[in-house]
Amino acid sequence: MTGTLPDGPLEGLRVIEVGDRGEIAGKLLADAGVDLIRVEPPEGARSRGLPPFVDDDPAQTSLSYAARNTSKRSVTLDLAAPGAGELWAKLVARSDVVIDSHPPTVLDELAAGWDAVGHERLIWCAVTPFGREGPRRDWLAPDLVGVALGGPMMSTGYDDHDLPPIRADGEHSMAMSNEYAVGAILAALWQRDALGGPGQLVDLSIHESISATVEGAFPNWEYLGKLVQRQTGRHSSPDPHPRWQYCCADGNYILLMGGGIPRDRRYWEQLLDWMDEHEAASDLRDPKYIEVLYTDPRLEPEIRGHVAETIGAFVQLLDAETVYRRGQSMHLPWGRVRRPEENLDDPHWADRGFFWEGELPGHPEPVRYPGAPYRFTESPVRLRRRPPLLGEHNHEVYIDELGLSVDEYKALAAAIHG
Amino acid sequence: MTDQAPLPLEGVRITDFSWIVAGPQATRICADLGAEVIKVENESHLDSIRLGLPQPDIEPSYNSSGFHSNLNRNKLSITANIHHPGGREVVERLIAVSDVVIENYSAGAFSRMGFDYERLRELRPDIIYVSLSGFGHLGRDASYVTWGPTAQAVSGCTQMSGLPDQDPAGWGYSYLDHSAGYYGSIAVLMALHHRARTGQGQHVDMAQIETGMVLCGVPMLDYQVNGRAYERVGNRSRYPAIAPHNTYRCEGDDRWIAIVAETQEQWTTLCDVLGLDCDDDPRFADNESRKQNEDALDATIDAATRGHDPVDLMLALQARGVPAGLCQRSDDKMERDPQLAARDFYPTATHPVLGEHRFEGYPVHFSNARWRLDGGAPLFGGDNHDVLTRLLGYSDDEVATLLAEAAI
Repeated sequence: MTGTLPDGPLEGLRVIEVGDRGEIAGKLLADAGVDLIRVEPPEGARSRGLPPFVDDDPAQTSLSYAARNTSKRSVTLDLAAPGAGELWAKLVARSDVVIDSHPPTVLDELAAGWDAVGHERLIWCAVTPFGREGPRRDWLAPDLVGVALGGPMMSTGYDDHDLPPIRADGEHSMAMSNEYAVGAILAALWQRDALGGPGQLVDLSIHESISATVEGAFPNWEYLGKLVQRQTGRHSSPDPHPRWQYCCADGNYILLMGGGIPRDRRYWEQLLDWMDEHEAASDLRDPKYIEVLYTDPRLEPEIRGHVAETIGAFVQLLDAETVYRRGQSMHLPWGRVRRPEENLDDPHWADRGFFWEGELPGHPEPVRYPGAPYRFTESPVRLRRRPPLLGEHNHEVYIDELGLSVDEYKALAAAIHG
Repeated sequence: MTDQAPLPLEGVRITDFSWIVAGPQATRICADLGAEVIKVENESHLDSIRLGLPQPDIEPSYNSSGFHSNLNRNKLSITANIHHPGGREVVERLIAVSDVVIENYSAGAFSRMGFDYERLRELRPDIIYVSLSGFGHLGRDASYVTWGPTAQAVSGCTQMSGLPDQDPAGWGYSYLDHSAGYYGSIAVLMALHHRARTGQGQHVDMAQIETGMVLCGVPMLDYQVNGRAYERVGNRSRYPAIAPHNTYRCEGDDRWIAIVAETQEQWTTLCDVLGLDCDDDPRFADNESRKQNEDALDATIDAATRGHDPVDLMLALQARGVPAGLCQRSDDKMERDPQLAARDFYPTATHPVLGEHRFEGYPVHFSNARWRLDGGAPLFGGDNHDVLTRLLGYSDDEVATLLAEAAI
């Protein structure tokens, strides 16, 4: 609790996060106000060793860690070390939730898993690549392999199928699975607190989370027996359709949803007027086009294709920001293909308070962290703490909160500090 | 999951004005977990997904889309005309007995329908109102409009997908409709927890583009701290800098396998399985040299995988502890993935028009709860009578009158 700022929506809950694939789930809960303790091995969580680093210096803070560990506290503990089990059990005993993203049997083999330390009110969420059961339970699936098996890659890539299916950068397997994990944890807490239910084991499969996130590929196969084909910069489809994405005059790309044809005919005239300013309307004022465009969108694909190509040729005459802003002024769902950092200085996000200014260890200036994917108006989700240093809260948690004496703490030094 | 286990969100009621994909994805999760989700629909603002992916053997109607059925299973549907006083009263009575109202119209549309947050609070003082628009309700560009691909473009997600020497590949579907839906379900649940603790409802103002920007945190920090602009990496890995880490072509039509070697042992095992003799090749001696010679490395592996069946190769590599995965199509996942089958990930349910079909599962097994698949999407207005009489206190005669006046 910082000063008089209002509580977050999840104030009062205690969560332990352990393992390397639950970082986003932990962050979502921590930013929303839970007291989240990340239990790291003495050498630090995997992401602390991942580039990029502050000043590109591996001895400095990892930005991969910083981006996914805001608002958390950090303690260190080697769960396999003598004496660690008792401390771990004490941590778990006072918690509402454990997020465990170790491979399926790791903590069970240390007698530190759900069966050994779970309690009546505990929600234990196991985030594993394939779930806790099944023939492929122990397969290895780093992000690329997970996204390949789950299906998004075969929907994503280029018109030219000599080029491979593409995995988007950014560890989306963690994002998708962790989003489902947070929903499942909050639902299990609701069952416990609102319905008077027990705690429980929540067994989440990353493979299933990805597999559920493919949109049209599922119904095309189940209902039509068709496989979707990947296309450059637009939806995959069983049958090819015209481009949606063009490189503008300034070298930036623009996305014209659906090929750029206004869905609402009110904006067709406005678009033609704009194209006329650049003598780029070609033959589109011929009434035969408007007769076709506002009928069933599956009809007359050649005519629609010609219109889309003409709009596409037009936008290549301008710079992408102009196309984006003027298109949106006539309610066209067009978007400039921005690099992530280009959003930092868009004043719309400042209006909304999206970015959170905060400290980043090792960097002299405050940075702007991407904020929350939702703006709570009464119980703000916000940056509650900068990302923790490794083991920064060992004393605070083990001595002040769990009640270890200084001598007991020293006796556990090997388990805590490695 | 047993049929006897409780549904964790039993007793939560959601009035659902959402349409297309993002909002329905949010309420799909709530409904799967037991919330009573009541879709408020009308022909004047028809959810166009009800017409999506028509099947040649089924008469087109508002009830003939499998795409829609998968997204809207377990929900109820009423059709209320808010421009008719009687229809409007139906909606207002429903809001008054709901915990949550959710909509994903463009900003401003819902208040033009007469339902801003203040009005919702008059109807139900502790209401939770979740709005999910492209740019949010607050901010100078709030009137801008998005579909999933628009949001992907502006957020940075599109730029972060693709080969460095090609156009951005983006995502081959509206990823941010699903991701925004997942965050929407989280917002509903967080707001319910807050209300349970404090008695306070609230408006949660979501912007689809923000649900994409939260996925781009590392490059945003890298730019601020190190001044580095984002550059695409294809299927290679920049963080951590390991190689091999890519997709390789296999035997068959457009078949690809993803292979990652995170350790030296995995690399030597990969060479063994592929029959590559790289022991004396200094370019590939360790991870650092492999990363420096990644073009040659990938070409060498690709030449070797082309002669392999991708499934056999995946099985051989995983059996020896090398991360490898077929780039699976829907038929691979739904007909030939033993893990998804073992966990019953595609259960079946019957829809009155579409018949018996498989549905995408919910990716969690609970030890003391279940998720449900009670049936496909509701028929358009199929629950008018049930909802009006059971929940809203209308008599059979009153329902008949409302129907006759086209209020519902």
